[in-house]
Amino acid sequence: MAELLFYVLSAGAIACAAGVIASRSPLRSVLSLLGSFVCLAGIYLLAGFHFLAAAQLLVYAGAIMVLFLFVVMLLNLDRVAAEDERPGSALGARRLGVAFVASSVLVLTGLFSIGWDSASHADPALAGMQLDDLTSIAALLFSRYMLPFEAASLLLLGTMIAVVVLAKRDRGPDRAGAVERDPYTLAPRDVGENLDPGGPEVVVLEDEPEEVHIV
Amino acid sequence: MTLWDPLWLIILTPLLGSAVCGVLHALSLRARRSGGAEPGRLAPLVACGAIGVSLLVSIVGFAKLWGADASARVIESSTWRWIDAGAFPIDLSLWFDPLASVMCLVITFIGLLIHVYSVGYMKGDPGFAKFFAYLNLFVAAMLVLVLSRNLVGLFVGWEGVGLCSYLLIGFWYEKGWPAKAGQKAFVMNRIGDACFLIGSFLLVDLFASLDMQAIVAGASANPDVGGKLTLAALLLFGGACGKSAQFPLFTWLPDAMAGPTPVSALIHAATMVTAGIYLLVRLNPVFAASPEVLFVVGGVGALTALIGASTALMQRDIKGVLAYSTVSQLGYMFLALGSGAFGAAVFHLVTHACFKGLLFLGAGSVIHGMHEEQDMTRMGGLRKHMPRTFLAMVIGAAALSGLPGLSGYFSKDEILAHTFANGGFHYAFWAVGLVSAALTAFYSWRLISLTFFGEERFDVDAVHPHESPPVMTVPLMVLAVLAVTAGVLGLPPVLHVAHGLSTWLAPVTEPGRAILAAHGEHHLSHTAEWILLGLGAGIALLFAHRGFHTYTSGAGADDAAAERRPQLARFLQDAWTLDSSYARLIVAPVKLGAFLLSTVVDQFVIDGAVNGAATTTRQVAGRVRTWTDGSVKSYALWMTAGSAALFCLWVWS
Amino acid sequence: MNVPSEHLLVVATILFSMGVLGFLIRRNLIVVLASVELMLNAANLSFLAGSRMHSTVGNVNLDGPVFAMFVILVAAAEAAVGLALVIALFRLKQSVGAEDTCELRG
Repeated sequence: MAELLFYVLSAGAIACAAGVIASRSPLRSVLSLLGSFVCLAGIYLLAGFHFLAAAQLLVYAGAIMVLFLFVVMLLNLDRVAAEDERPGSALGARRLGVAFVASSVLVLTGLFSIGWDSASHADPALAGMQLDDLTSIAALLFSRYMLPFEAASLLLLGTMIAVVVLAKRDRGPDRAGAVERDPYTLAPRDVGENLDPGGPEVVVLEDEPEEVHIV
Repeated sequence: MTLWDPLWLIILTPLLGSAVCGVLHALSLRARRSGGAEPGRLAPLVACGAIGVSLLVSIVGFAKLWGADASARVIESSTWRWIDAGAFPIDLSLWFDPLASVMCLVITFIGLLIHVYSVGYMKGDPGFAKFFAYLNLFVAAMLVLVLSRNLVGLFVGWEGVGLCSYLLIGFWYEKGWPAKAGQKAFVMNRIGDACFLIGSFLLVDLFASLDMQAIVAGASANPDVGGKLTLAALLLFGGACGKSAQFPLFTWLPDAMAGPTPVSALIHAATMVTAGIYLLVRLNPVFAASPEVLFVVGGVGALTALIGASTALMQRDIKGVLAYSTVSQLGYMFLALGSGAFGAAVFHLVTHACFKGLLFLGAGSVIHGMHEEQDMTRMGGLRKHMPRTFLAMVIGAAALSGLPGLSGYFSKDEILAHTFANGGFHYAFWAVGLVSAALTAFYSWRLISLTFFGEERFDVDAVHPHESPPVMTVPLMVLAVLAVTAGVLGLPPVLHVAHGLSTWLAPVTEPGRAILAAHGEHHLSHTAEWILLGLGAGIALLFAHRGFHTYTSGAGADDAAAERRPQLARFLQDAWTLDSSYARLIVAPVKLGAFLLSTVVDQFVIDGAVNGAATTTRQVAGRVRTWTDGSVKSYALWMTAGSAALFCLWVWS
Repeated sequence: MNVPSEHLLVVATILFSMGVLGFLIRRNLIVVLASVELMLNAANLSFLAGSRMHSTVGNVNLDGPVFAMFVILVAAAEAAVGLALVIALFRLKQSVGAEDTCELRG
C-alpha cells in the first residue's frame, strides 16, 4: 500500500515539476511548485522522515511559497505577454538542457541496471518507523553540526538585513535641500517620482519560453 | 729566497703617479674653463719622479742579485691573497730573478727617457697631464706583467698594457682614425688573449698550479706530457702573436702609429710588444718540451721578419717604415725562440729596445721639427737643419741594419748563428732571416737617405724645420750611446768572451736548454761562426750602401719600381695584402652579420615577439571581453556547465 | 515503505534535471527561481535516500535529515534574497525578463 502511494506521489511530483518549467503563466508555475512540495512532503513521510516532512511543509510550502506568491501578486506578473516568440536563449542553453536530460536518462538506466527489484540498499526492517525523531536530530545539531547551526543563524540575520535593504522603496530625500539621486546612475531626479508601478497603466510583460518540451 | 718588500714600490709608484696625474688633468680641465694657473704643468714632474723611483728600486734589486750567489738569484716579495677560493687561491706576489731584472731595467730606464722626451713633444697639447697619467699606468701594468709570479698577475698586466695601448693609440681620438686604430689594436689583442687564456687553463690543468715557478718545475721534471702540453704551448704562442704582432695578428701595429710618437717608441717598440717574448722565455721548459711548437714559432718568426722587412721597403710614412721594421725585428726574436736560443732572444729584445726606441724618438723629433709632416717624400736635406737628430738617427739606422760593431750586429748575428746551428729545416729559416737582414739594411738607409740627404723637397721658408729642444735631444743621445755599446752584453763565443746576458739569464733558461739538449746538442764550429759573422757584416754593408745611394736624389727609384712591377709594388705596400684580406674576409662578413642581426633579428623577430605578445593579448582580451555581456542567461549557462564539469572531474578522478 | 532507495534516487534525478532545464531555458526570473527551488528539493530527496541506504535498525544514520534541514534553511534565505532582487529589478525595469538585465555588459 505504502509503495503504491509512493509511486503515485512521485508521479505527482514529477508532473508538478513539469508544470513549473512549462507553464506560460508564472503564477501557474509557482502553484505547481507548491504542489510538487506537497508531494515531496508526502514522500518524506512515507520514507520515515516525519520531522522533515513537517519542516518541508512548514518552511517550503508555508513560507517560501507564500513569499513567491506575494511577489507575483505584488508585482502583478501574471499578465501574459504578446505572442511574439523571442528567439535565441543563451547560446547552447537548449542543448545543455537536452544534455542534462540525456545524462539523467543514463543515470537512470545505470540505476535500473542494478535491478528493479533489488532492495539490497535499504534495511526492510526500517519500513514504517520514524527515522528522524527529534531527540536524535537535536543531539546531532548541538554536537556534530554545531558550527553549521550557528553559521546558519548568522546567515539568516544577514539575509534579513539584505532583504530589507534591497527591497526598500526610495521615498525622496532625507534632508531638506538634498537632491535625490537615481540609485543606479546617480543622476539627480525630481522628488516624488516613484518607480513603483501603480495599477493598470504599466507593464507589458514578455515571458515566453522559446520551446516547451515536456520531459 | 730573500724577501724584500720594497719590490712593491716598483709597481706602486707608477700607479700612484698615474692617479695623481689623472687628478691633475681633471684640475687642469676645470682651470682651463675658468681661467687661471694650469696645474697640468706639474704632471711630468710627478710622472718622471715615479718612474725614477721605480728605476732606482730596480737598480738596487739588480745590485742585490748581482751580489748574490748564482744559484740563489731570486728576490721575492710578500704574498697578498687576492681571491680566497678554497683549494685554488689566487695570490699576488712579485718574483725578481735575472730575467725580471733585465726587463725591469729596460722598462724603467727607457720609460724614463721617453717620459722626459714627452715633456717636449707633448708640450701645448690639451691632454698633457692625461698623457702622463696613461704613460705611468702603462709602465705600472708592464711591470706587473714582468714581475708577477703567477699567471693571473701576468694576465692582469697583459690586459693592462693592452688597455693602455688602446688609450694611448686613440689619444687624439678627435681626429677620428686614431680611435679606430685603437679599436683594431684592442680587438686583435683580444684574439690573442683568448688563446692565452685557454693555454693557461691547460697549463693549470696539467700542473695544478697558477704559479709559474711551479709550472716551470713541473714541465722540466717530466717533459713528455704529450698532446696537452703541446696544445697549451701553441695557444700561449697564439697569445704572444697577438701581443707581439706576429703573423697573422700584426696588422694593428702599423695602424697604431696614429698615436703620439713617444707612445710608438715606448709601447710599440721597446716594451709592450716584447711581452710575448717575455712569456715564452719565462715558460721556456713548456716550449722546449714541445719541439713541434718551437718549429712553428721559428717559422712564424721567420715569415714575419720577411713580411715586415719587405713591406717597410715601400712605405712613405717615416713612422710606417719603423712600424713594419718593428714587426720584422720581433719576428727575429721569435725566430731565436724557435731555435731554442732564449738568451739570444732577450739580447735582441734589449738591443732592439735601444735602437728602435732611438729611431722612433728621432722620427718624432723630425716630425716635430717639420711641423707634423710625416711623408718622407716631402722631406730631404734635413741634416743641415737638425744635426743632433741626424746623428742620433744615423746611429740608430746603423744599429738596426746590423753594421759591424754596433749592438744590432751582435744580437742579430747571434740569432742567425743559432738558427743555422739547428740544421735541417732551420736552414730555410736561416735563409729567410738572411734575406730579411739584407732588406733591413736596405730600408733603414733608404729612410736616412730620403729624410736627411739630398735636396729639400719642400718649401724651406714656409715650413721652417728646426732642431728639437734639449729635453728631446738628450734622451736621443743617451739612447744613441746605448745603441752603440749594448753589444758588449752578448759578444759571440769566438771572441772568447763570456756572453754576459746569457750567463746572467742562465738560471732562468737552463731548464729549457736542458730539455733541448736532451734532443741533441747543436754546435757551430769556429770556422762556421767566423763565416757567418763575416757574411752578416758583408750583407749589411752592401745593402746599406745600395739603399743609401739609390735614394739620395729622392723617391724616384720607388716610382720606377712601381711602374715596372705594379702588382708586386702594391702587394708589398699592402703588407702582402693581409689588411685588405682581413677587411674582406673577416670584417665585412661580421659587419653584415651585425647588420642582419640588428635589423632583421632585432626588429622583426625580437620586437615582433614582444609586440606580438602584446597584440595577441589585446586581441584575446577583446574576444574574452564579449563573454561578460551582462546577460543573466549566459551566466547561468556557464555556471551550470562549469559545475557539471567539476562534478565529472570529481567523480571520474 | 519497502521501496528500494534507488527508486528514491531515480525520482530525485528526474526532478533535478527538470530543474536544470527550467533554470537554463526560462526567461521569467520567477520561474528561474522556482526551478532552483526544485533542484534543491531534489537534492534534499537524494540526501534522505542516502541516509536511508546507510541506516540499520540499530544505527540510524541521521546525517541525511540534518543536511536536508540545512538545505531548507539556506533555500529559504536564498529565495528571500532572490525575490528581493527581483523586486528591486522590477522597480527599475518594469519587467522580470532575464534578458532585460544587461546593464553590466563588458
